[in-house]
Amino acid sequence: MDTFFEFFSFSDPSIVAVVIGSILLTASSAVVGTFTFLRKKALVGDAVAHAVLPGICLAFILSGTKNPFFLIIGAFVTGWLSLVLIDNITTRSKIKEDSAIAIILSVFFGIGILMLTHIQHSGNASQTGLDSFLFGKAAALVGKDLITFGIVAVILMVTVSLFFKELKLIAFDMNYAKSLGLPVKAIDLLLTTLTVLAVVTGIQAVGVILMAAMLITPAAAARFWTNDVKTMTIIAATMGAISGLIGAYVSYVAPAMPTGPWIVMIISAVALLSFFIAPKRGIISRAVDQRKLQYQIMDENLLKALFHLGEKNDDTYKGRTAEEIIEKRHFPKARLMSSLKRLKREGFLKKKNGLWAFTEAGRIKGQRVVKLHRLWELYLSKYVKIAADHVHEDAETIEHIITPEIEAELERMLEYPEMDPHEERIPY
Amino acid sequence: MRIEAKDPVVEFHDLTVSYHKKPVLWNIDMTLPKGALIGIIGPNGAGKSTLIKAAMGLLPLGSGFVRMFDQPLDKVRDRVSYVPQRESVDWDFPASVMDVVLMGRYAKLGLLSRPRKADKEMALNCLRKVGMEAYVNRQISQLSGGQQQRVFLARALAQEADLYFMDEPFAGVDAATEAAILGIMQEMTAQGKTVIVVHHDLQSAAEFFDWIVLLNMRLVASGPIDKVFNNDLLQETYGGKLTVLAEVGELVKKRQIPSREKY
Repeated sequence: MDTFFEFFSFSDPSIVAVVIGSILLTASSAVVGTFTFLRKKALVGDAVAHAVLPGICLAFILSGTKNPFFLIIGAFVTGWLSLVLIDNITTRSKIKEDSAIAIILSVFFGIGILMLTHIQHSGNASQTGLDSFLFGKAAALVGKDLITFGIVAVILMVTVSLFFKELKLIAFDMNYAKSLGLPVKAIDLLLTTLTVLAVVTGIQAVGVILMAAMLITPAAAARFWTNDVKTMTIIAATMGAISGLIGAYVSYVAPAMPTGPWIVMIISAVALLSFFIAPKRGIISRAVDQRKLQYQIMDENLLKALFHLGEKNDDTYKGRTAEEIIEKRHFPKARLMSSLKRLKREGFLKKKNGLWAFTEAGRIKGQRVVKLHRLWELYLSKYVKIAADHVHEDAETIEHIITPEIEAELERMLEYPEMDPHEERIPY
Repeated sequence: MRIEAKDPVVEFHDLTVSYHKKPVLWNIDMTLPKGALIGIIGPNGAGKSTLIKAAMGLLPLGSGFVRMFDQPLDKVRDRVSYVPQRESVDWDFPASVMDVVLMGRYAKLGLLSRPRKADKEMALNCLRKVGMEAYVNRQISQLSGGQQQRVFLARALAQEADLYFMDEPFAGVDAATEAAILGIMQEMTAQGKTVIVVHHDLQSAAEFFDWIVLLNMRLVASGPIDKVFNNDLLQETYGGKLTVLAEVGELVKKRQIPSREKY
């Protein structure tokens, strides 16, 4: 607990530096990743992330130092090369994009690991710490490294905000963007460059292996919360920043622990949570909607059954027992009772001496369902030419979802018909 | 049968287009008149969409050229608008109706600048024209097919162009939308704008258009509707697939031969 307060009081300037660095890196990857995600290029991000490793090793071998400037250039070159190769393989051979990505990813990463092993066995003293690029080490973000990576991260975010509307348009409708005469190729190139740069800067905190998660996961999680690209970018950046902050903390508490896996686990937990609890798009929210729909269908079927009971002897408002209703149409008893109670609570039914009867509102609702059912049957047999003995089942489901607009359209088209295909009166 | 337009806005000259290296349009030669509502008609796979994509510079040309207002497209882009097929985009994209219509203003805005108040009002005007002003803030995934098509039309209107290429704007729309879109097109042509529409329904084509282009991998006919919309030419367009032409196209793709020899 002590370390917790020590860390989050931010009294130690080196902690502040690491925190700012981690947040900048993860947030900027998330911002760029939003567009990688919207362009549906998640796998490409993964390939680039792995392909920067040989570049980093090569830069180290050639320069003999861990100067971040050289490392960034090296990473940038091989990251770019991988994209060019994927593109060329896809357009010039029969190999499809997914296979091309898999090939390039493994070949580049394989070469990278070979080079890294070679460096580690070369006895070069300055190589220590190079392996932290595999899984990330936020605590190593100090001094000049921090400044270099931080500047790149800021450049990334500023560039995205400058070209925001073009990036959005190209992600939505590339052909239209071209037809407007926008420099689509150049902006595409820009996004690719940004992706490579985001990977390059992010690897210090997250590492090459898990970097793709940092690009894509925040965007995927943010998508659950909003229907607007700008808001989505901001949410993704915030989520990225939070995981970066916690990653930095872990790195501070346990310096031997690689940060990448922690950051990725945190952002994944955030994504998983969004997946469940987000309003509208989340699993729980959808399940609730489904449940509501089930209730609605049950209630409407019940009102319909009551209306049918009243049709025979023209005693619509007469009270009925639950057994009478079940005899008309089979409902499981428990569900029928809960539906009856719900409808009473909502004011569509009333209960007197143990008998259930329509209120005026309930009668209108039940009558509408019956009307929609019969209208739909008539429409199916008249316009869609389906045999009269096959239309009932269809109408059973459709009657619950017809909107007032479609209802009016059906009435107009069929000219307020009196009878359905089974010679039953359509009530208005 | 080919009738030249008196007051041409678009000129196709010996246009050959390949799709994934397979030639799908051969030697298209025609001119299209100003202020007309023009329908491009033909069976599936006739190359209708390919023709307007090629005209908009979205596909590489095997040979020939397209000129608009007697200029190459790049010189007059601000006067030309393109409406892609509705299914060509992912409608689950996080954007509102307003966002999409504003995209029609991007060319006028240029890089690095944001939509101004005037652009938003212009977009709103266009939405009003297509009867969608009540949906400004609606998420696009919640629109019906007809509403999506209207939004695309509003986006094109926001460009304030003089020449419009539309890919299947009547596909999968309800009767009300069809009438609304047709009404807007007629209004546009009355103002001297030219509207070129890819269309697949023969019956409505007879009612909609002033000028018809019959296409089936090659140009069968182009001219005023009363001259070219007849049984013989329709028979030629729809009947008897050009099997040899299609087979040669496949061959060209397999052998990777460029459609024009280059030295």
